[in-house]
Amino acid sequence: MGITIKDVSKAFGTFQAVKNVSLEIPTGDFVALLGPSGSGKTTLLRLIAGLEGLDSGGIYFDDIDNTYKSIKERNVGFVFQNYALFKHMTIFENIAFGLKVRPRKTRPSKNEITEKVNELLKLVQLDHLAKRYPSQLSGGQRQRIALARALAVEPEVLLLDEPFGALDAKVRQELRHWLREIHQKLNITTVFVTHDQEEALEMADTVVVMNFGEIEQIGSPEEVYQKPESAFVYSFLGRVNEFRDSEVASESDKISYIRPHEIVLRKILQGDSIVSEVSHIHVIGSTVRIELRRYDTNDLFEAEMSIDQYQKMGQVKKGDILYAEFKNIVVFDKNSENKLNHSGKSGIRNSLKSKLI
Amino acid sequence: MADKRKRHRVLPGFGLSMGYTLIYLSLIILIPIAVLFLKASTISLAEFWDTVTEARVVASYKLTIYTSFIAAFVNAIFGTLIAWVLVRYDFYGKRIIDALVDLPFALPTAVAGIALTTIYAPNGWIGQYFESIGIKVAYTPLGIMIALTFIGLPFVVRSVQPVLQDLDQQYEEAAATLGANPLQIFAKIIFPAIFPATLTGFALAFARALGEYGSVVFISGNMPMKTEIVPLLIITKLEQFNYAGAAAIAVVMLVFSFVLLFLINFWQWKTTKKYQVS
Repeated sequence: MGITIKDVSKAFGTFQAVKNVSLEIPTGDFVALLGPSGSGKTTLLRLIAGLEGLDSGGIYFDDIDNTYKSIKERNVGFVFQNYALFKHMTIFENIAFGLKVRPRKTRPSKNEITEKVNELLKLVQLDHLAKRYPSQLSGGQRQRIALARALAVEPEVLLLDEPFGALDAKVRQELRHWLREIHQKLNITTVFVTHDQEEALEMADTVVVMNFGEIEQIGSPEEVYQKPESAFVYSFLGRVNEFRDSEVASESDKISYIRPHEIVLRKILQGDSIVSEVSHIHVIGSTVRIELRRYDTNDLFEAEMSIDQYQKMGQVKKGDILYAEFKNIVVFDKNSENKLNHSGKSGIRNSLKSKLI
Repeated sequence: MADKRKRHRVLPGFGLSMGYTLIYLSLIILIPIAVLFLKASTISLAEFWDTVTEARVVASYKLTIYTSFIAAFVNAIFGTLIAWVLVRYDFYGKRIIDALVDLPFALPTAVAGIALTTIYAPNGWIGQYFESIGIKVAYTPLGIMIALTFIGLPFVVRSVQPVLQDLDQQYEEAAATLGANPLQIFAKIIFPAIFPATLTGFALAFARALGEYGSVVFISGNMPMKTEIVPLLIITKLEQFNYAGAAAIAVVMLVFSFVLLFLINFWQWKTTKKYQVS
């Protein structure tokens, strides 16, 4: 079932959590609402579920106007960040809850419920835990059960609020793949909230980047990463070096950005490069991050390379002088941080040149 | 054990504080109770049995237990309701109502007893309306229940309130997204969560009611076999310098209360234990 959100606004007191947001989610899509805390992403998700009432606008599931319908009538599955499993019920009872509370007319028989719950337990690969209580499960297991519980009512739309936020890195990684698989299997329209750009880029078909209650950009993970429409999107999606008061860009009302992996370091001067001094070297598994200080402006910046490249470059230590070439600088207007002046590479290079050495 | 002793604590002083605890409990609770048993044992077993099974005494046991139970039960229901209102809603004067709940703790019980008697007497403000439909409140077991309800109310409210406050609304929201209606959400999600606290409040209110004297003696009318409570009988015996007899009745009441509280606590432990392992 597709979701259409039209000019939706929601305020909590004087705080505008969601401002005039419009969004079209096609059936079967896997959407990430991505943004920093306070960007309105969770509020938007809760508005879709009906857990929050909206101030203005409309929410439609396909052609059905759901704007003022109760949570119950919307038939959504909702997964909470902290699982919200019912502590006093076993895992089996938790999953069966949605079926057991149905009015007698539509309630499945006891055998049907048992069958359905077992089927779901198999889907989340935890059928051996049916008789346990939530407190006896690990975080990752609890979140899977929470998902199974949400799926038990056969929702048309699956909503997940920071589903992996409370889990440790390794479990999170596993569950990401697993959730993708489940989505492919069931093909339910799925919307999840996250503040982790990696998670959004890795899992979603469509990424919706939000900031201050508004949508900054909608697009595939590739689009939002490669063609960010605003300084915010650029800087939020991945590590970034920021040069304000621009010595790189000549005009002072511009901010320039470059991603660490787009900086090439050399030991000998070659092309347009900036003289820099190494101030720190971090080796993080297969990547190496080098912190440098520019000689011309004294700004700190960070370059990233693979360990192979690092080894090819030869021994580097703190205090060494390296030449940094900025390969893909992106310049945004400072005043209206939304407008993109896509890096006319040569233009930047020219302005760079004048500042070099 | 050796490991335990070595375990580092942020705040030292286990020995000192534990020693203090034991001495304190002995002086305040254990020794007086031991003396009570000692006093009761100064009479022969036959005398003891005669004293505690006298018809008037048995009637008072029954009355005390059943009025206390009903009062605690009523408190369990309405105290939970008050706690709910205080936690879940914001309204003008909420703080005043919150403070009012503690009033039965603060008020001298005799004052409460006199006030309640005045109001519920056949010609009192409220009593007259009950009188007109043929219900006597003051000087009947019903009056005793009202006095006991009054003094027991804060126990339930104050037990349930913090638990309700900590109850994350996420559980209700989760139940709602799964299609539960408000009644089902209360019965299946909220009630099981607060039930142990309600039970605690019930036990406390019940225990308090069993021993209550000051507020009851005025409203009960103290008619032998009808509206005499156990504490009153004990006082009566004391006034007749029958200390051993008073102690005998007290011992029975004490043992009974202890067993009852033990059972309630056991029940509570059983209901919470299974899902609170972590």
